[in-house]
Amino acid sequence: MNPTDGTVLVADAGFAFHGWSMATAAVVSAACALVGSFLVVRRMSLLGDAIAHAVLPGIAVAVLAGGRLGGPLVLAGAVAAALVTVWLTRVIHESVGLAEDAGAGVVFTSLFALGVVLVTLFASQIDLDPQCVLFGILELAAFDLVPLGPFLVPRALVTAVAVLGLVAATLLATWRLQVFTAFDQAAARAAGVPVAAVTMLLLGTTAVATVAAFEAVGAVLVVAMLVVPAATAELLVHRMPLVAAVAVALAMVGACLGWVAAWWLNTSAAGMMAVVLGGFYALAVLLAPGDGLVARGAAGLGLAWRVAREDWLARIWRAGEEAGGAGEVARPRPRSAIERAAAAWLEWSGVVESRRGMVRLSAAGVREAETVVRSHRLWEAWLGRHAELPLDHLHPPAEWVEHHLGAAMRERIEAEMAAGEADPHGREIPREAGGRP
Amino acid sequence: MMAAAPTLAAWPPLVAVAAGPLDAGLTYNTLVALAGVATVGFAAGVAGTLALLRRRPLVGDAAAHATLLGVGAAFLLTGRRDLPTLLAGALVSAVAALVVLVFLRRIARTRDDAATAIVIGVSFGAGLALLAGITARGLPGGAGLEQFLLGHAAALTAQDALLLAAASCATVALVAVAFKEFVLVAFDDAFAAAIGRPVGLIDTALVALVAVMVVVGLPAAGAVLVTALVVIPPVAARQWTTRAGRMLLLAGLFGLAAAVAGVLASTLRPGLATGPLVVLTAAAICVVSFAVAPERGWLWRRSTLPGGEESP
Repeated sequence: MNPTDGTVLVADAGFAFHGWSMATAAVVSAACALVGSFLVVRRMSLLGDAIAHAVLPGIAVAVLAGGRLGGPLVLAGAVAAALVTVWLTRVIHESVGLAEDAGAGVVFTSLFALGVVLVTLFASQIDLDPQCVLFGILELAAFDLVPLGPFLVPRALVTAVAVLGLVAATLLATWRLQVFTAFDQAAARAAGVPVAAVTMLLLGTTAVATVAAFEAVGAVLVVAMLVVPAATAELLVHRMPLVAAVAVALAMVGACLGWVAAWWLNTSAAGMMAVVLGGFYALAVLLAPGDGLVARGAAGLGLAWRVAREDWLARIWRAGEEAGGAGEVARPRPRSAIERAAAAWLEWSGVVESRRGMVRLSAAGVREAETVVRSHRLWEAWLGRHAELPLDHLHPPAEWVEHHLGAAMRERIEAEMAAGEADPHGREIPREAGGRP
Repeated sequence: MMAAAPTLAAWPPLVAVAAGPLDAGLTYNTLVALAGVATVGFAAGVAGTLALLRRRPLVGDAAAHATLLGVGAAFLLTGRRDLPTLLAGALVSAVAALVVLVFLRRIARTRDDAATAIVIGVSFGAGLALLAGITARGLPGGAGLEQFLLGHAAALTAQDALLLAAASCATVALVAVAFKEFVLVAFDDAFAAAIGRPVGLIDTALVALVAVMVVVGLPAAGAVLVTALVVIPPVAARQWTTRAGRMLLLAGLFGLAAAVAGVLASTLRPGLATGPLVVLTAAAICVVSFAVAPERGWLWRRSTLPGGEESP
């Protein structure tokens, strides 16, 4: 069951083989992604990794005791091993004061090592070997068929569907408790939710999903199936049911694409599934609407552009005011590259008319500039009235707020002021463009 | 090699135990491999202690899982499979994984633990795919690269052992030189920053040390379990002392003992990978330390806890 065997089989096999293998991989991935959504939200991703490693001795002992891979005895062994991991970590934490992450590091590596040694020593007696533990045996799934009604289906697929059903039923039955505990543990406890039991249920479910995934992709890669789809989904959507649904969908698509890529490149399917999921995540980090780097960069650039444009118009307007209401003033010097670009754009688009070193605002430019200056001076007036700031401290905050004060806020501030009142510096506040005369 | 010479002298019973079933006794090659692995065990314990004191015990895990990718890439790019080439590749990919991790933590809106898990899972998957691809194509010399998964110390040559020993000694020397700075930052980074110590640089150096130890630990423990070489001995040493210097030394000795015993045990039976046995030995030392260490051990605390009438 080393990768050579598997990959050669992939290259030679036919349609049913690909279908069965992809179906198995997709169902297994779906179960992992469903559990993983909660692990990621609860900051328990690395505990998921620890459990994925630590179930190995539980599985090995259960198989030695006569259990069949994917059978109830093996599931029980895996859940027991997962709970032992959590319990041991807590015992070590409480008895010798070791930090939980260090304790988990000791426990899961030790248990995994124990599992590998057991599997190596008894490889001839049990249906497991170290290669299978590390790489998974997805490539062999389609050759181990069991009858199901009139059909022959892969045993691993039957296991995977059963596991997915168990995982989904458990999580859906306790959905509200799981979500409440995940988002506000203290409030959940205060409201009488048995937080410890809910958490243990989640970890037990993780162990069950891990067993199925472990058979398909190997112990070490389970963490990718658990965490990556959920973390990707979290960047794309922001409600728990949606996160879970998107994570499951991504996991299933990733499993199929990974299988195809592995067949095409003649390499390990489990490895390529992790790589494809990693590609999804990288794309989401870059392109996710709202949370992606591109969207955040564009939003920041858009804001910087608007600020530069409004500043430029307001500077021209103020220069005209200082010159006693002259429409045409000397062109100011841009203070930054983006302001230079904004000025060029405004002049090109006709909002600012430029002639021989002199500039003049168009009617639209005057309206926009007056809105900005009005926001600025209203805010200074409000600050002068309520914040008891000295006169020379009013300008800097207003310089920021002028770009963000909406019409409604301007109305409310103006309502506080006497008719025709000037700003604290004694300058006239422009009237709302298109508003009351 | 400073830790190697006393090691072999200090373990005659174990050597004898291992040599018995081997008939031929310990060959020169085995002794050389043992010496290299022993220094790695010592240095990993030392570097791991600093990481544990800094409350980042698992900092090497992401780097460890990424090494496989570097091993495969180094083989593909150079066509060579000598240990220095492969470990150089492993070091590059380990550092790259840590850089990606820092990038994700700073820039991507993903929780820190999820970012670590993603780097672990995806880099290991990519490494596995690369190695499986190399194996499937039957490239000359490509067989056996998967020894780096679980460790195979028996394959070490004298030159390899020298490389491991040199890297380990350099690590220990750096820790010895900058011991005060590392411990200061570990115990009170705010104070260290206030008195002008370059905390960021010292933390980077610590992560780099752990990355180097994870890489040179590969032949002994393999990518999947090498983290344990950095985590378990310091946890065991922590039971026995409250002084950072002694903990450092003790963790080094525990690591050394685990590495040597694990390698010897793996020679007892063909097909046993070194990594799991090294880790199990370290775990045994750890359990003993949890149980019997003075002041902190379970037995000690049970017998001296005040209040209970049945306590002697």
